[in-house]
This record gives sequence, structure tokens and C-alpha cells, in this order.
Amino acid sequence: MLRKALHNRWMVAIAGAVLMTAGAMAGTFGKAVAIGGEAADLALDEARGVLYVANFTANRIDVMSLKDNLVHTSINVAPQPSSISLSPDGHWLAIAHFGNNAAPSSPNNVLTLIDLTANNAKQTFALGSPPLGVAFGIDNRALVVTTTSFTLFDPTTGAVTTLQTMTQVAAQTLPQPLASFPGNIVQASLAVSGDGLHIYGLGDNILEFRYDVATQGIAAHNYTFSPPAGPRAVSVNQDGSLATMAWAVFDSQFNDLAQFSNAVGLLSVGTTLLDTSRQAIYAQMPPQGTTATVNNVAPLLQVLDWDNLTARETLQLPENLTGKSVLSSDASTMYGISDSGVLVLPVGGLNQVPRLVASAEDMIFRGNFCDRSVATQTLTITDPGGGNTPFTITPSAAGVTVSPSSGITPAVIKVSVDPNVFQGKTGTSVVALTLTSNVAVNVPNPVRLLINSQQPDQRGSIVDVPGKIVGLLADPKRLQYYVMRQDKNQVLVFDGTNNTLKATLRTCATPRGMTVTYDQQSLLIGCDNAQMIWSYDLDSFLPGRLIPTPGNYVQSIASSSNAILAHMRAVGSPNPGLARIDPVALTTTMLPTLGVYQNKLALDSVLTGTPSGSKIFVASTDGNVLLYDANSNSFTASRQDFSSLGGAFAASAFDQYVVGNNLLNSSLTPVTQLDSSSGISSGFAFISGSSLRTTAPDSASPGVIQRVNMINGSGIRPTRMVEAPLLGASTSGPGPGTTCTTVSGSATSTETCVNGNTVTTTICTTSSSSSGTSTQTCNTQTSTSQSASTIATSAFTQTLAVLYDQSAIISATTSGFTVLPWTYDAAVAPPSIAAVVSAADGKSPVAPGGLITIFGSQLNPTNLATKQIPVPTALGNSCITVNGQPMPIIFVSPTQINAQMPFQAIGDTVIVVHTPGGVSDNYNLTIQPTAPAVFLSASAGPLTNLPTVLKADTGLLVTDSDPVHRGDTLVIYVTGLGQVSPSVDNGLPSPGDPLAIALSVPTVSLGDVDLPVLYAGLAPGEVGVYQINVQVPGSAPQGLSVPLVINQGAGFNTFNLRVVQ
Amino acid sequence: MKVVRTLAVCVAIAAPAAMAQSWEVGGGVGGGFYTSRDVTNPTGSASAKIQTNIAASAWLDNHSSGRWAGELRYDYGRGDLALSQNGTQATFAGETHAMHYDVQWRFASQEAAIQPFVSGGAGVKIYRGTGTEAIYQPLSNFALLSKVQDLTALAVAGGGVNIRLTDHLTLRAEVHDFLTPFPNKVFAPAAGAKVGGWIQDIVPMVGLSFSK
Repeated sequence: MLRKALHNRWMVAIAGAVLMTAGAMAGTFGKAVAIGGEAADLALDEARGVLYVANFTANRIDVMSLKDNLVHTSINVAPQPSSISLSPDGHWLAIAHFGNNAAPSSPNNVLTLIDLTANNAKQTFALGSPPLGVAFGIDNRALVVTTTSFTLFDPTTGAVTTLQTMTQVAAQTLPQPLASFPGNIVQASLAVSGDGLHIYGLGDNILEFRYDVATQGIAAHNYTFSPPAGPRAVSVNQDGSLATMAWAVFDSQFNDLAQFSNAVGLLSVGTTLLDTSRQAIYAQMPPQGTTATVNNVAPLLQVLDWDNLTARETLQLPENLTGKSVLSSDASTMYGISDSGVLVLPVGGLNQVPRLVASAEDMIFRGNFCDRSVATQTLTITDPGGGNTPFTITPSAAGVTVSPSSGITPAVIKVSVDPNVFQGKTGTSVVALTLTSNVAVNVPNPVRLLINSQQPDQRGSIVDVPGKIVGLLADPKRLQYYVMRQDKNQVLVFDGTNNTLKATLRTCATPRGMTVTYDQQSLLIGCDNAQMIWSYDLDSFLPGRLIPTPGNYVQSIASSSNAILAHMRAVGSPNPGLARIDPVALTTTMLPTLGVYQNKLALDSVLTGTPSGSKIFVASTDGNVLLYDANSNSFTASRQDFSSLGGAFAASAFDQYVVGNNLLNSSLTPVTQLDSSSGISSGFAFISGSSLRTTAPDSASPGVIQRVNMINGSGIRPTRMVEAPLLGASTSGPGPGTTCTTVSGSATSTETCVNGNTVTTTICTTSSSSSGTSTQTCNTQTSTSQSASTIATSAFTQTLAVLYDQSAIISATTSGFTVLPWTYDAAVAPPSIAAVVSAADGKSPVAPGGLITIFGSQLNPTNLATKQIPVPTALGNSCITVNGQPMPIIFVSPTQINAQMPFQAIGDTVIVVHTPGGVSDNYNLTIQPTAPAVFLSASAGPLTNLPTVLKADTGLLVTDSDPVHRGDTLVIYVTGLGQVSPSVDNGLPSPGDPLAIALSVPTVSLGDVDLPVLYAGLAPGEVGVYQINVQVPGSAPQGLSVPLVINQGAGFNTFNLRVVQ
Repeated sequence: MKVVRTLAVCVAIAAPAAMAQSWEVGGGVGGGFYTSRDVTNPTGSASAKIQTNIAASAWLDNHSSGRWAGELRYDYGRGDLALSQNGTQATFAGETHAMHYDVQWRFASQEAAIQPFVSGGAGVKIYRGTGTEAIYQPLSNFALLSKVQDLTALAVAGGGVNIRLTDHLTLRAEVHDFLTPFPNKVFAPAAGAKVGGWIQDIVPMVGLSFSK
């Protein structure tokens, strides 16, 4: 059996190797079907099992079989079939021909009608103007849109009804230059909703429309797209409530719900397609640098959330999509117009194609003064479809090793970091693990390794938050704070009591600004790629109604007692300005003037309100500052004392304002400069008459936090932070949140910069000639997922927040954020240990491998818990050693630490706690091999402190009202059962297969009856938690309080249970 | 199984008495109305009872003389166990099974159209908790409503009237009073709580019997 398994494994390995060898030709999703011409439109006829492809240049309709994706037949038609549509009853195929021939040729704009039930009999109708498109509604009548009119064509009677005429829309004339594509020539697309009731269309740069079949009403209007509305593709969801047109998502009122940023607007590269069943959009949106005729950018298909365009998946395409796409009715297959003709994409079968995904976005390695050994964590690489996909994983810097560095999924990778290599780094080093495969069709995001070796004088506890953090805000009355993660379109709500994630709020596309309303009840979130403001109730976290911002995108937003103001980027306008937001009436009104001032601001401008709600302070990168007074509802001050501004911005309740290193008075007159010796401004917070600020020389250095003397701007007790606060775009070189690592050798140096999901690697090679001159050659490669490339950046940073009760300071930093106590700069007394007991019940002795609680004082400045695996050996600013060996720590607070006693700790031991305040006195403890202790329930109310004994069949806690019955199987959760076999590393969860069984098997009795022990060992998936499974025999004594006794070696534990028949 | 076993024993004990004379078999339905008992603990008391329930019965009569009869009888009742105090209530599904032997004296002959009667007897009654136990039960500081069964002694007294519909078919209307010790396994007193005494179950019922 084993031999066969090994054989199979080798076969898989060999197959993988073969696939890898052939991978140069693979690793793309979908199949291209060449049609020998340029496809202009598609129509899916699932009843007949065919796809009709309008072959624009070959003057025919190619009929592609859906079974083998081959073109078996073609129907010759008039020249330039540009748009086709199949009637819902499957009877008719209508074809519009774009024949806008320039003189001396004559125009030849016609409509062909093919009767699919009569041997493809054809009729041709002349059109007076060039057709933009044709589409059938559910009434089996075709809407024909030309450059001058909307007409309704009844194929049964041949009747034509003009619904609406319009001023002639410009149309391209034929012939066109070489390498022009149908999308460039026709410049129009139509699509119908799944229910056939709504037809949406996009013409040239001045027309978008919706036709409602039931009412025969047309809503058409001009639009402004900048860049142009490309790709010229339209898609509609099932009920017509959503449509994608070019690079934006619209509702039925043409509100811009979300849009792709950085779109280049090429008319003939890319596509969008709505999938109602998955609430997704499939899109190829060519990024900056793409050209229509040169395949200079790898074509990527993204699977996105349809409401805010959050990327779910990125897939590599074999060639560009070039216009409209259609989806099969079961949403299994997408057909898109492509360079060769048609791309067939099995979007419903993603689990059948090879893909790669890592089990974590980030891995954080916290070196500490208790542990200088090589740290190892595991990362699992899988194929989401369960396949065996070959891959290679590569770290971007020395000091990080991965083993194995290549393999076949599923695979567990050991990632090791040698802290000595990073010893000189006093901030957080960011290293990327890049996943590559010649087979996988997706683009896996790199894994971000965060390596930090906190020194005793560095304050703060890092909380890892993957992705791109662009904003931080503390709730004014709740112990919670909001972290804006831009790359996933989220606001993360953290609990201020333990700094754990409390809720995840979805946001509009590319969130840029957020504010708590003056009534302190709602959070408003504005976005750079949506003409909508999203809102949430801050108690229930339920979403509120969307606030449209027609034609504008929020750059920053702030609340006052009188108005909510937002700085807007306007479509196609060179003059962004302020708007007033009404969250009740759901309106956005651009202010005609700012009092006596023009409403013109630099694009990168930010707003912040005073805590009292009396003012809103505005700062712009061009050096302008502005003040809105809520009492007078006017703009009372405007100055430009600086040539540029950036960094932190804040407003106090006492009419003081800070932007960058400048302190301004109530007239916005600069009154003093803040000390700039500690680095670049990042965060600033006014708190009850005092103030705090964070700075950093660069993103790789530890930041500095200090209180500020508001009289002369000097810093008070500047204190090094554990890592750098985030820096603004124009002030930090590589960009906000970008961290670079440089590894230098004798002849080469490699700099790797990581920003969110973007990894830029620059390798410079120095060569010397015989004449003694040296030449340096650098090559830069960027690995970027499209979601990351769309991130909006600002020169201003909002990275510092203080909880309203001043229990903690939060700073957005390299790894996510850093938590500091309000008294971070106070003299710290050394820690002191009072007791070391079992964490299960807070009183029993401890044993190797078990969870323990250390009671004492000054054990850590703040409360902090971790779910990190493996459990870190330093948390917050504390670490513990037992006989010099570091101890994994789960929770820290000033008076209590929960940790795992290493399996190696036995007999007479010395326990020492290390904190920034110093080192505790030795705590001598004799550790027995076993010391079973049952966990007590932590539920509130009458169920508190019950022994954690569960019924195996229900999984419910045994209580007096749900007692033990004879015949029950019980699961008792304990700690302190000691050594196990096979052994499990400290800080790692126990495996499920094989189970880690206690070497010393406990005995369990109920009353005077022994219970058969079915299992005793570590609980699978848990760290330091054991379980004992026992069977209750029919002879077990009954009673309200029957003692259950666990004996193991010299240790025992007893508690009472109610036992009934 | 224990219930079945207990009832089988009762049938076996009563069988010799039914080995002669004329026979009557019958069945009826009605309702059960229990008295309550107070469960006390140092903080106060709560009322424990079985809620008004449906009842069904089957009997086998043997008429040994003109006025006397012996009746072997099975009674079923279904009603929730309930514990209440000041508007707070805990309930738990339950049922009862009783097997008893009664002696019946009729005020009229067997041939009379209307035959008032009185009866009395003894037997056993089983209380069963049949609900789903939950990790928390309100008023659990007084008593714990449990998925167990409680076997108790039973004393029965009753009376009613038989109305002859035909020579072989009789309509019966009757009332029984079932008296048992308080079932303190299904109503298990919590630590420090006390409950005791007897509870009554008054069961009016109508039924039909067939005699030969």
C-alpha cells in the first residue's frame, strides 16, 4: 500500500514535471477560436447548440458549435455584419450591417433578417443611416438603433416603427486605416437583460441609452467618458437593474455605481460581462500602457464583485478580448469577441483548471529579545479546485528560505527567517514570496512577509492587516476604530478593548475618505471610483442608503454640526471642488462658491472636522488651506502660505490646525513649525488640549511618536515605535505603504519594493571592464495584480487615532497598525510574576505543552490577543523564557499573560518575563510531567465557570439542565496532559492525522465507576488544548452532583456533574 | 422498555381476577388537570405542575356479580412539565403512563339503562420527561426538568355513569382522581431546593365499552 502510494506520488510528480516543462505554452484560461476575420458581435443560440459570430470583414455569420467550439458552417450575408441578435423565440436572427462607405462608394447600411426555421431564408432591408446595433426584446421585436433614430422592427410583419429620432450621431466612414477593428469602426454595442425586458446600449462619445420593452420608452442621454468609453462592450444583468458599459457599472438610472480605475479607454481591447448568478463581473480591462495593436501587456481576465469591483480572481488569457461577451444561460461558459475571433472561457468550471492560492496574505515574523533562533512558519499552497498544480515559490530577499521551493499542490511550505540577517533592521522589513507556475491559469498574489525585531526601547504592538491601508479613524463614542483597506474595498472595524477584528464593512470602489456623522451614528465612506457614498450604522453595522454623487467622485469627506462636506473629483473637469452631502435627502450639491472664494481646489485635497463639529479644515497639496465655519455656514479663512503641503492633517476643538509640520491658528495663519528632525509627518491627533504626532524618516525605519508642545512645536519625549507609520505619496519616495528591501552582493544588488499586491524587483549588475571602468545595468520587473494597480494615493495621511477613552493610541503602520498605550512614554517599571497556574482554571499546576496563565504586574502595557499560527514568542512588548527557552504567547495584559508551556519544560525551571520596562525576577517553578486541569466555560451568566465537558452527539456543554445520561460519550477539554506522541512543536496546532496521543493515559471515574477512555491527547487544530473522550456506562451513579475525577500520574483534577438515567 | 416491562407485570398480576364471569372492554378520551406543588429554595418558591393535558384510557372489566366489577385499566396522559415563578416559566414535554386495578360498585344492575358507579383502586404511574434538554433552563435554581422517567405508586378513586346504548354497547362518562407522590426525578430539585408531598390528577373522560 505504501509502495503504491509512493508510486502514485512519483507519478504525480513526474506528471507535474512534464506539465511544467510544457508550461511555457500553457497557463492561460480559455480557448481561442480563430474565424479568419474580425468578429464584431455574438449571439448565443443554446437551443440549437450554436454561437453566431458576426464576421465583420468576411461578410458572413460564422456558426460555431457549442459542443466542439468549431465553426462548422457559415451564412454569407451583406458586407460588414456589425451587430446581431437572436429573437427570444429562436425564430429570427437579425443582423445590422455597417456600410457607411465614403464617396465615391455609396452607403450600404442594411438590416438582414434570417428565418432560422425556414432554412435560413434571408430578407434584407435598407437602413437610412449607419446602424449602431440591433437587439431583440422579449416581445420578439428588434430594436434597431442607427445614428439618427431608434426604430422597432417586427420580423413577422416587416413593420417598422420609429420610436424616437435624434440628432445625428457621428459615425466612422469606410474605409478605415489598416489595423482598425470593428470596435474602432462601429463604436457601438447593445445588450439585452436576461429577462428580455431591457436593452442597454452605448454609442459613440455622446450616446448611452436604455430601452424598456414593456413601455417602449427610451432613456437616452449624452455622457462624458474620460478616457473614452472603451472597451465598447455592454452587458446587462438578469432584471436590467445593472449594466456594464465600457469601464463603468451603472444602475437603471445611469448612476455610476463603480468603475475601473486607470482604464485606458481603448475601444477594441477588453470586455465586461455581468453574471447574475454569481453577482460577478468578468472583465478584461487593459491597464495603462496597453495599445490596440501591440500585445505589450499580458491580457488578464478578472472576476470581480459586481457592486464595487473587488477582485476575486485574476486569470491569464491566451489573447485579448476585443468587445462584447455573452454568457450561457447556466453561467458555465463565457464567449467573448477576441483577437482571433472568439474566446471560449469556462467560467463555471474554474475548479477544473489549475490555479494556485496561498493560505495567507501576510506572514509576520516577530523577532524578540527572548528568541534569536531561526523562526519557521508554514504556508499552504493549494489549488482551489483540489488539483495537483506545480508551482515555484521564491523569496525576494536573503535571510528568508522556503522549503520546498517548488512542488505540487497541495503543499505545505516551511518559511524560515533568520533573525540575524535582519538584525540591523530596526523597523519592519517586507519581503515578498512570489508564486509562479507554468501551468496555473490564475495570477496568485504574492505573500507579504513582515519581519520585525523589536528592540526594548521600541514601543507598540503590531497588528497585521494585509493589503493597502489608507485611512484610520477612531469612533467618537464607542471603543472601536475604523481601518480603511483600499485594495479590498473594505472598512475594517476593530474592537478597541482587545484590538481584534469586529466587523468588515464593504465599501464602494476604491475608498478614499470616511467620516462619522455629527450625530455619531453613521459612517460615510466616499470612493474614487464610484459616484456613490456608502453608509453604515455604527451600532448594527447595517448598510444605509447610498448617497449619489452624480458626476463626481469623493476624494475626502468630513462632518460638522451644520454640513457634511466632501472634496470631489469631477468627471472631465479640471476644477475639483467641494460639495455638500445630505445623508437624509440623499443628495450631493456642488457648492457654487466657497463663500467669497471660488470653489476650485487641487485634486489632492483633504478635509477633517473638529471634534466639536464647529469647523471643517481643508488642506491642498498646492499649499492652500481653507476653513469652513459651521456656525456661520461659510468659509471664513483661506490662505496659501506654502508652496506644497502633505503629511498629517488634523483639527482641534480649540481652533488649532495642523498640516504636515505646520501649526495654524484659527485664521489658518502659520504660528509655528513642528520639529522635523524625527522625519516625515505621518499622523497627528489633538486630544483634550494635548496632541500627539507620528513621523518616520522612511518606511523602513521605526517611526517616532511624540507629544507636541503646541507653543513652540517641539516634541516631548520622542519615542521609537516598533515600525514606521504610513507615509504620504509625495513624501515617501516609493509611495505610501511601500517598503523596500535591498540585498547587495559583490556584483549584483537586488532591491525589492512591496506595496500591497505589487512587487517591484530591480536587479542591478555591476561589471568592470579591463580598462577599469565599471558599468551598472539595472533591470526592473513589476508583478502587479490589477486590483492593486488601481489604488488611489494621496500626499496626505490620516494614520493616527486615539480611542475616545484614551485607553490606546492606534497608528497605521507598515504591517497594518500599531497599538500603543496612552502612557507609552511613561517610565515603565520592570515586570513582576506573582503566580504561574494552569490557564484552564486559573489555579491548577502546569505541565509541559499545556496552556498557562502568568499573573503579575507590569506584564505588558496593553491588552492584546493573537490568533497567529504558530503562536508568536513575543506579543505586544512582552516575551517569556522558561529555562532560557522562549514561550509562545497568546494573550497579554498588564496583569496577566496566557501562554503555552514548552513541551521541553519539566522539573525545576526558572521563568522570566521580559518587557520594555526590564526583566522580571526569576520565578522558580517545579513542573510535573502531567497536571490535568479542565477548562472552565467563559460564557456569561449562569453558565460561567462550568467545566468544559461536551456531549459528543450534540456538541453541547453538559450542565445541570442538560445532564449526563448513562450511555453518553463525553468530550472533556483539558490542558496539562503533558508529552504526546507524535510530538508537536511548541506554538503549533495539533494535527488531526495522526492524532497526538498523551504518553501518559489518564484514568477517569464518575462516582466510583471507571469510565472507558476512548481518546486522550491534543485536540486537533488547537494549541495546548487536550481532550479526553470517555464513555459513560449504564452503571454510572446518578445524582445532582457526581464527582468526575481525572487521574494522570501524580496529577488529578476533579469536578462534579449531574448524571441521570 | 422499562415501561413495557412494568405494565406487563401489572397485567400478569391482575389477570387471575379477570378469568371468569362476563367481560367488558372499552376505551375513552378526556383531559387531565393536575394540582401543583411548590418547590422551595432559600430564595423563594416556584410552582411545579404538569400542564393540562389530553388523556386516553383503555379498560378491561370483569363482572363477577350483579353490582361488583373488577377493572384493569391503562391510562395515558400527555402534558408539559412546567415550572413557573412570577411570570417566568420553564416547560419540558412529558407524558404519563398508569396501570391500575380498580374495584367498581354499580348502583344499578347490569341490565339497567343507566348505571351510576363508584370505583377505587391502586397501581403504578410512570412520569416521563420527553423534551429536549437545553444547556440552560429558566428557574433551574428550583428544579431541573429532565429527560428521565419516574415510577410512582398510584391510588385511584372515581365515579361515573354507564349508559346502555344497546345490549352490548355502553357509553361511559366518568371522573378519576389519580393520586401519586410528587415525581421528583422528572422535576429534580436543584441543590438546596425541596419539594415533596402528593399530586393529584383529575381526569374527566367519556368512552365506549363493549360487553359480552
